[in-house]
Amino acid sequence: MGEFDLLSSLPAIAPEIGLTILIFVAVLLDSFLHESQRKGIAYVAALGMAALAIVPIIPGWAPEPGPTGDYLFWGGMIRHDALAQIFRIMVLASGALTCLMAVDAKRVGNKGEFYTIVLVATLGASLLSASADLIMVFVALETLSIALYCLAAFKRNDSKSTESGMKYFLFGAFSSAIMLYGFSLLYGFTGQTNLYALAQFMGTEAFANNAVPVLAAMVMVIVGFGFKISAVPFHFWTPDVYEGAPTPVTAFLSVASKAASFAVMMRFFIAVFPNDLVIGDYVIQNFWVQFMAAAAVISMTLGNVIALSQKNIKRLLAYSSIAQAGYVLMGVAALQATTPLGAERAVASVGFYLFMYTFSNLLAFAVIILFSEATGSETIADLAGLNRRSPWLALTLTIALLSLAGVPPAAGFFGKFYLFTAAVEADLVWLAMIGVLNAIVGLYYYLVVIKVMYVDRSEDEDKPIPTSQTYRWVLGVATLAVIILGTVGAQVIFEWAVQGAGTLFALLPGVF
Amino acid sequence: MVPLWMFLLVAAALFCIGTFAVLSRRNAIAILMGVELMLNAVNINLVAFWRYGTPETMMGQAFTAFVMVVAAAEAAVGLAIIIAVYRSRKSVVVEEVDLMRG
Amino acid sequence: MNVLNEWAFVGVFFALSWALPALPIVAAVFFSPKKANAIKLQTYECGVETVGDTWVQFKVQYYLYGLVFLVFDVEMIFLFPWAMAYERLDTFQFFAGIVFIILLLDVLVYAVKKNVLEWS
Repeated sequence: MGEFDLLSSLPAIAPEIGLTILIFVAVLLDSFLHESQRKGIAYVAALGMAALAIVPIIPGWAPEPGPTGDYLFWGGMIRHDALAQIFRIMVLASGALTCLMAVDAKRVGNKGEFYTIVLVATLGASLLSASADLIMVFVALETLSIALYCLAAFKRNDSKSTESGMKYFLFGAFSSAIMLYGFSLLYGFTGQTNLYALAQFMGTEAFANNAVPVLAAMVMVIVGFGFKISAVPFHFWTPDVYEGAPTPVTAFLSVASKAASFAVMMRFFIAVFPNDLVIGDYVIQNFWVQFMAAAAVISMTLGNVIALSQKNIKRLLAYSSIAQAGYVLMGVAALQATTPLGAERAVASVGFYLFMYTFSNLLAFAVIILFSEATGSETIADLAGLNRRSPWLALTLTIALLSLAGVPPAAGFFGKFYLFTAAVEADLVWLAMIGVLNAIVGLYYYLVVIKVMYVDRSEDEDKPIPTSQTYRWVLGVATLAVIILGTVGAQVIFEWAVQGAGTLFALLPGVF
Repeated sequence: MVPLWMFLLVAAALFCIGTFAVLSRRNAIAILMGVELMLNAVNINLVAFWRYGTPETMMGQAFTAFVMVVAAAEAAVGLAIIIAVYRSRKSVVVEEVDLMRG
Repeated sequence: MNVLNEWAFVGVFFALSWALPALPIVAAVFFSPKKANAIKLQTYECGVETVGDTWVQFKVQYYLYGLVFLVFDVEMIFLFPWAMAYERLDTFQFFAGIVFIILLLDVLVYAVKKNVLEWS
């Protein structure tokens, strides 16, 4: 790890330092501001996070290989590479938008704690996307999870919200305990905690004839990550938590937590179980790739099929998010590609998909928050006549849903396109076919919602939905992002992600 | 000296007891206790592996300290949530907390 | 091995000291007559009968206090190594510990301001 150099190490955790300062300030503001002024914390938090999200884009702050040339900083705890930066931008952007979305939400927006906990969750997610050590992965994951348990149960007098918090907590604590047991086994087998050091020790003679313990540890780790990304068979909590949690929390949960978990999952499996790790007669990579492919198929199919029969829009988006996790897992399975370029494009397609998914899903949830705050309803049938009530809102929700469905010119089209291409390039043609079939099923239930908004009539058509200035900004920024990512920006962001993927593989001894 | 596998056996047994508690108990507090048992099994594992494997680095001990702190934070948050559920439902039995289904 | 042999005596002594008191207790379970009645099964609380329902709900203040105590108490784990190595810390390590303490103080200020520590 080399000599410790403070100045060259600081940029590696610049966003986290910024977030810590923001948390410090937010707690103080919450302590001393009068209750009516606490909404101001939302703007402080959102502006702070937006500023931190821009930091990685500044040319001078691009990740340097560091003193030892392996991008590892802080004793190997953090890997400061371009891929981590991309995921940090997603996480910080979704944190900022979530704070702004919560401002007008009843029983949420006027509580200073809400913004503090969102900041803590963002801190955890941001660390998670850069962590390169078992200890760091665990601590970051728990920082994110514990903050999210609090957020899900945030409306403490609302029995649905507390119920969703309890379910999320019980499932989450259980799965993270299993994952932690896997971590302890990995540490025991190798005596190392750094992800990039683990693989070298597992390839040695001591394991030459026995792959079973390593595979057991791998399965345990998959349980933990599978829970966070809500992949089938670890998805039971998703619909209930999505429905019960306050809607801004659901929005944050569905994007930031998922994006950061995918980031760390890819980093973990590429580093710990690389394609040159052979124990006995087994190529370890085959096991997890096959598991990912199977989970992708089941998640896509189950999520889409159950989504067809949903009446509640939040539950619909919950099942749609299970399906979306399935699409992304397809990109993770494509890591079995035999060429460096193929694997890099697989990582990049996952990165791009999550980038566009962040904005599309936040946009959809933003409209739903506005709608349910104004009408108190979350059922799909009540969206009837939204086009006549507030044409702009209907249009934004349409764009978001089309993006989730993968229809051009919204961003989702390129997201799916890159994922399917990556799968085909990795000789997973059958997986790509199932993906395309599922995309068609998915298109149906998104179109049903759009049809309800534009064709169905309701009695409240003369009551437009009030939209505050803050909200117009949120909707505008997210819509712009979705459109840009679906047209001119797609190639740029994807190329950037490919570059980031390059640094993910860079300097891994003997991977390619 | 006590061999390593004995510690691992204790840890594995503790982990299984914890898992069994989580899967079989209906009371949320009891489930939480099961999870704590599982985390303590991890701690035994980590300390044993550290002592027998790499006592020259402090990684195992540091890991254990983090697991303990996170377990405490998790318990604090979990208990707070369970209290909130109890105040609105007058029950912490998991099957009775089922407003949402489907 | 010598040292181990010496400690073996301690081990034998330890085992005996558990076994001797345990023996009569276990024997009593098998040999004593069992005649349970209502008075015998009563909860023994220094001879005073319990008044009212013992399943009373505590004030929420009590839980808040307990949770805050739990978290602060366990955070001390991180300060132990810092204090132990105090003599050998360089400037950065010293300030890293200070930052941690400041963050804890920040939370303490929050707890005081939100009246979590009020006990009435």
